[in-house]
Formats: sequence, C-alpha cells, structure tokens
Amino acid sequence: MAAIELNGVTKRFEDDEGLFDSLLPSSDADAVTAVDNLSFSVAEGEVFGFLGPNGAGKSTTINMLLDFVRPTSGSVRVLGHDAQAESVAVRRRTGVLPEGYDVYDRLTGREHVEFAIESKEADDDPDELLSRVGLDPDEADRRVGGYSKGMSQRLALAMALAGSPDLLVLDEPSSGLDPAGAREMRDIVRTEADRGATVFFSSHVLGQVEAVCDRVGIMRDGRLIAEDSIRGLRSRIETDSVLRIDVDGDADLDAVRALAGVSSVESDGGRLVVGCTDDAKSRVIEAVEAGGATVADFETDSASLEDIFLAYTEGDDSADEPEVTA
Amino acid sequence: MTLESVARKDFRDALRSRWLLGLTLFFALLIGGSAALFYGVLLSGAGANSETLFGLTTAPGGLFNFSYAGMLGFVLALIALVTAHGSLIDERESGTIKLLLSLPNSRRDVVFGKLVGRTLVVIISMLVGFIVALFAMLFTGGQVMFVSYAGQVALSGLLATAFVSIGVWLSATSASQRQALFGTVGLYFIFAVLWSTVATGVPRLVNWVIEQLGLTALTAPQIVQMRLFIKYLNPLRAYETLVAELYGPAVAARLFKAGLAERFAIESTFAESLPFYFTGPFILAILLAWIVVPPLLGYRAFEKTDL
Repeated sequence: MAAIELNGVTKRFEDDEGLFDSLLPSSDADAVTAVDNLSFSVAEGEVFGFLGPNGAGKSTTINMLLDFVRPTSGSVRVLGHDAQAESVAVRRRTGVLPEGYDVYDRLTGREHVEFAIESKEADDDPDELLSRVGLDPDEADRRVGGYSKGMSQRLALAMALAGSPDLLVLDEPSSGLDPAGAREMRDIVRTEADRGATVFFSSHVLGQVEAVCDRVGIMRDGRLIAEDSIRGLRSRIETDSVLRIDVDGDADLDAVRALAGVSSVESDGGRLVVGCTDDAKSRVIEAVEAGGATVADFETDSASLEDIFLAYTEGDDSADEPEVTA
Repeated sequence: MTLESVARKDFRDALRSRWLLGLTLFFALLIGGSAALFYGVLLSGAGANSETLFGLTTAPGGLFNFSYAGMLGFVLALIALVTAHGSLIDERESGTIKLLLSLPNSRRDVVFGKLVGRTLVVIISMLVGFIVALFAMLFTGGQVMFVSYAGQVALSGLLATAFVSIGVWLSATSASQRQALFGTVGLYFIFAVLWSTVATGVPRLVNWVIEQLGLTALTAPQIVQMRLFIKYLNPLRAYETLVAELYGPAVAARLFKAGLAERFAIESTFAESLPFYFTGPFILAILLAWIVVPPLLGYRAFEKTDL
C-alpha cells in the first residue's frame, strides 16, 4: 500500500473571499490553478523530497494531504484513508510540520508538546521529545512568545514526532534553522526513516533534500515535472552550480581545485565558495574533509535548482504551459 | 476526547492572557460593587430584599421602567462577543490553526472546543460577580430571595452562552479579523439598538402591504402581538422578560416596558390566556436556540473553508 497516493488532483482557488474582492469586477483571471492534474505516489518507508520554487504548488499539495484545503477534483489518499473524509484518522498516524503556522505565544514549549501528545493519545515523554529536537528544559518551560523562529521550528518538529507517526509530512522543515539546526533536522529525518516511517518533505533548496531522500519530485506551476532518484536526477544535469561550504579548520584549497568538475574555488574566512558540476559536489566535500577540515554545513546556490528546472523544461512545448503566474 | 483538550488549551490561554482575571475583576466590580453600593449605602438598613435591585423597577402607570437584567444583558452580550469573536479567525490569521489541525483534532472539535472554552471564561467571571453580590447583600442585611436569585444567575449564564455562540459563529464565517470585528459591532448594534425599530416597523409594513392588497387590516392587539413576538426573538429581550418572570406573573413580565397604549390593547387578552408563543418555556426555547443554532451554522461554514 502506498503511504501517499494522488490521482488527477487539481486545486483551483477562486478568489472570492472577502468583502472588498467581491466589489471588484471578477474575471477568470481571479481563479488560480495552484495544482494541475497531479498524480504521484510515495511508497511506505520511503523518504520523498518534494522540490520546487515558491509558488509551485508544493504547500497546496501538502495542505490537501492534511485537509487544510480541499481538491477541486481528483482523489487524495494518505495511509490508506481518504484525505478529506477520514482526515482525523490520517492525522492520528501522521506527524506534521506545516507551512505558515504559528505557535501559541502564551503557552510554554512543554505545554505545546503535551498538547500534541494528548491529542494523539500517545504516551511519549515530553522532555524526551524536546531534547531530541535540541530544546533544553529551561527553554521548554518558557512561554514560546520569546522563541526565535528556529526554536519555534524545533518545537513544531517535536510536536510532529509525538506518537511515533507512520508518516511525517514536513513543509520546508529547514526554514528558520541555522546550518547546525538544518543538519540536526536531517539526522532526525534519517532516524525516523530508519524506524520505518515514511517521510514526505518539501524544500526549495536542493541541498537539503539530496542528503536524505530516496526519491524526489519537482513541482513547477502546479505540475510534477520530474520524479526521480537523486542519482538519476543528478546524472541528467550537467549545469555548473555553486557550492557554499562552512568549514572548521583550514581546507586544502589546492586539492579541491585539482578535482574533476571544479571550475573555481574561493575562500572567505570559514566559508568556501566552489563552482563545480553537480556530480562533483560530494567529491569536493570529501576532499575538504580529507584535508583535515570539518564541514559544518554546506548548501548549493539556490540558482542551481533553477538550473534544474531549466534543464527539465528546455525543449518542452511551451503551448501546454499553464498560464499562471500567481 | 480532543474537543476537551481544545477547550482546555483555549481556557488556559485566556488564563495566561489575564483576560479571565480582567473579566472577573470587571464583573466583581459591576455586579458585586453595584450590590454593595445599593444595599450598603443607598438602602442602608432599609430591610430591602434582592428583588429591590435585581428585580424590576416600574414607576406607577408604566411611565418609567428599569431592569437591572436589561442593563446586565447589554454588558454580558458585549463582553461575550468581544471574548468570542476572534476565537477562530485569530487562529486562522496567525497560523496557529494549522498547528491545531495538524494534530488529530477535527474541525468540529475546534469549533465546539472553542465554544466551550470561551463560554467558561465568560461564565466563570460572571459567577464570581454574582457571588460577590450575594455576600454583599448578606453582609449589608439585604434579604436574599435565593430561588429567584439562582434563576437570574442561570439565565445570565444562558444569555452569556448565547452571545459566545453568536461570536463563535461570526468568527467561523469571517474571512478576516476585520470582517469578524465589523460583524460583531454590527450585530451588537442590531440587537442592542436597532431591534425595537425593526419590531415596530415590521407590523406596520405588513399592515401597509395588507392595505395595498385591499384586505382587512390587522387589529391593534394583533399588531402589538406581532411586535412583542419579534421583540422576544432578540436574546437580550428574551433574557430580560424571563428574569422579570422570576419576580412576578408572566403577563406582567411580557408587558414589561410596553407602552400605555399597548397595555390597553393587549393586557386583557393576555390576562385571559397567554398564547403559547409568549409563555416562559417558549421564550426560554428561543434563548436556547440562540445557543444551539449559531455554532452549528458556524461549523458548517468552517467545515467547508480552505484554511
């Protein structure tokens, strides 16, 4: 059984909400097709990276998995349940880190996690969940109104992990996290996957998904334009990209320059900026670490994702491109 | 039971924001303070009972009417609306609703959990006010008519619940906080100010239409009955007349605040037999309908909404 199964799903937003809008002359341009006839499935136990630029329809798709928004047509099944009619059953077995959420300023971190545990009728230890995401007891007892974006994100992840869910749905999980936090996030994703959970997470930064995903799908303008393993994806792209590496210690720059596929190397204090082909990136990281330095974190320039889109859409018949810009 | 956990979380939030504390102080001062002032200072040692303040004050001939319940109803309705009108839309605008609905809470749990949480906030603070007033009366030598006093407290609780329900309904159907606020102000204005104009205007309009059609115009008692019926569809007025009935006969309670001409037109008819749609149980049913129907409508709208 597939953990997630979408069949011909379309979501059109009719922009008719609000008094003010209803006073304006309406036309078809007011309707936005956020997701257009989307079909794909994610197998149980798989780690699926959901990529695409902002506005591609990723969050709308995720919101349909959670019944935050309802599809205009098509069917969405999650963990064998109808995502709309049996949404509570879905969410009982799903941990969610939503996009555009906010925390309850006046409640403490621990109260948030306790609320999640209570709602899921689970028996987790709140402190254990909080320490897994890197929130110490002092922080947990504070009201979250004083939390930074990164701490809120950790807290929401702790809530998502409550009840050992069979499926984790994470919408842009690394946003607001510093490089170390982003790496911890990836470690948690791996641990959950090893436990047997299916992980579905979205990102607009390729670097965050390639390290953990079995498979990725790329959304653009409401459609899935590619669905492949990271390896398969990489092999189809030979565009130069920029790799930014935060290093502790001195990196052997000459060794990096000597690698195949590397076109430029610049050092700026603790940060290396390396121009290279996509498939050279792991070799660059290895070379830096082999030279005695430690890689604290790395990211590829987000432009590389744009390059991938171009690579995937080049030669496409532009006539069937949806005329949507919102 | 996730409805319960939603309600508990909501209540705790009100506790933390000191909203509950503020409301409690407010009602302690308003209800308790007015009782202390009335029985302790104004009527000191006059051997008054609880009806003197909480019952009806009608000057001979109906020239002057005042009811404490009428005044308290205005305040309770406003407080309840203010407490409830943001219950759902605030969470939608801030995004906390996504956290709430990421967990296995159904939208029904959220709407009715909010209703329970906010109702408790208003009722608990109101109860403290009535308890302070009770002690004020006991300590200043006022005689407490316990049965009618308890009835008045219970009816006040129902009125508060009705307006929390209306607030939750507004919150569930609004697309923005501003819409919810305008809706709240507008509805309050209708219930508190505009309703009597409507109650007077509708029978006149009906009569005008009938005349245009060349049919027999309504009789004066019929017009008065229609006006009264519309009047008591307003939860504020339903509450006031039910409280009045605690202190006197039903007919007097229905005609409380009615003008002299109206009394002449209908009092004898009512005295013979009160139509069932003016009996206490029927008016109570109207008040209860205001508790039950709005949240159901709100839930139906909220159920269909894209967050």
